[in-house]
Amino acid sequence: MGGESFGWEERILEGSGEFAARKRLLELRGLSVPGEEDVVLGLFDDDGLVATGSLVGSVLEGIAVADAYEGEGAAVAVVSSLIKRAVEGGRKQLFLFTKASEASRFEAMGFSFIVSTGSQGVALLEWGMEGIAFWLKALKTRTEGKPHGAAAVVVNCNPFTLGHRKLIEYAASKAPWLYVLVVEEDRSLFPFGVRVELVRQGIADLPNVTVLEGGPYVISSATFPTYFIRPGEKNGDEADRAVEFHAALDLALFRRHIAPALHVTDRFVGTEPYCATTSTYNRIMKEILTAKDGGGEPLRVHEMPRFEKEGAPVSASKVRELIKRSDMDAAKALVPPTTWAWLISPEAVPVLERIKKSDSRH
Amino acid sequence: MEAKKTATAGSLESSDVLVTISPAAGSAVELKIESIVIKQFGKRIRSVTEEVVAASGTKGVSVHVQDRGALECTLRARLETAIARAAEPA
Repeated sequence: MGGESFGWEERILEGSGEFAARKRLLELRGLSVPGEEDVVLGLFDDDGLVATGSLVGSVLEGIAVADAYEGEGAAVAVVSSLIKRAVEGGRKQLFLFTKASEASRFEAMGFSFIVSTGSQGVALLEWGMEGIAFWLKALKTRTEGKPHGAAAVVVNCNPFTLGHRKLIEYAASKAPWLYVLVVEEDRSLFPFGVRVELVRQGIADLPNVTVLEGGPYVISSATFPTYFIRPGEKNGDEADRAVEFHAALDLALFRRHIAPALHVTDRFVGTEPYCATTSTYNRIMKEILTAKDGGGEPLRVHEMPRFEKEGAPVSASKVRELIKRSDMDAAKALVPPTTWAWLISPEAVPVLERIKKSDSRH
Repeated sequence: MEAKKTATAGSLESSDVLVTISPAAGSAVELKIESIVIKQFGKRIRSVTEEVVAASGTKGVSVHVQDRGALECTLRARLETAIARAAEPA
């Protein structure tokens, strides 16, 4: 096995001394300490830490090699070991963010390039048997024969409200076909299965709308990890920068891969009155999707004012807040009958309980 | 043998190969071969992979071979090990 042949010891970091050494190594490389790691690995020789890397869910992060050991295969030893540990943990697909200028180094380690935000920007790479090409092919079988020049909205719908309904209704009235991509990551209070089903029921009467699962490539913990982090979990400025580059990658991926596959030319989005992350995402959406030189055809972005009821914007976070306060009558006024029917069903009880206890942003 | 879980053998280091075996639906054997010497040895890597998988009697699997210039004996050993590991109970 890799490192051992060079006389390196490969193991999980332990003790504050080793973590401090890792932090110094990451900082030397201009990297921040990831946080919420499942595995933090180190390669050691007699003098201490040679290289480090970590696994956060399905994302490889914080990979760095000490100066004196550059070019000796330490990085690839760390990456190989992280892949192996991730696979043993049941993962089939892994992701990695890096500077665009470094992407080719990881391609040489068996990762496939997905997208970057330009040569000075960041890049997203993946590892596994079934990559984005495979996912797009599966998506295309469900969208075959639909009109070109279609529109798309990306929604979490946690849960589906009258606001979502109005946005979808409007977008569907302006385009020959509309794809509603529902964020698949199961880190919201309403489980994905429920969210997507309530979207399907809520738009069942619209003839030119197809609801699609967002998979790992639409606002997932792989493409957009900071979307799922509560404000305050990271330091202000650092978190904002991370949100900006994750948002940029997510949108570049949409433009380069998803929009062409679905023949989408227009993206619709609601204005975001409450959530700073989502409003940053919307701002970057306009920059990335409409830019003339962003690769492929530019898209049009249509930002709709939030649907208001009694002078206040209707949003899913508002609905959750009302549920939290047990003000079900007020919540009822903000959702369509299909969502309401689910909220008062026995199936909803554990979800409502979770909302009452939670302070999650999503 | 039957693949019960995803398993790997080998590494992505120079002169090695990383083999990942996963259970897949149906009885087909899906191959994905990547190599730094695909032009010169792609066909040989594929035929060795097919041969070792067939010899093990494994069906309904996906086999991901990421070759970094391994010798044929290394490739065979990595394939056999990954197949055996994938057959262990999850």
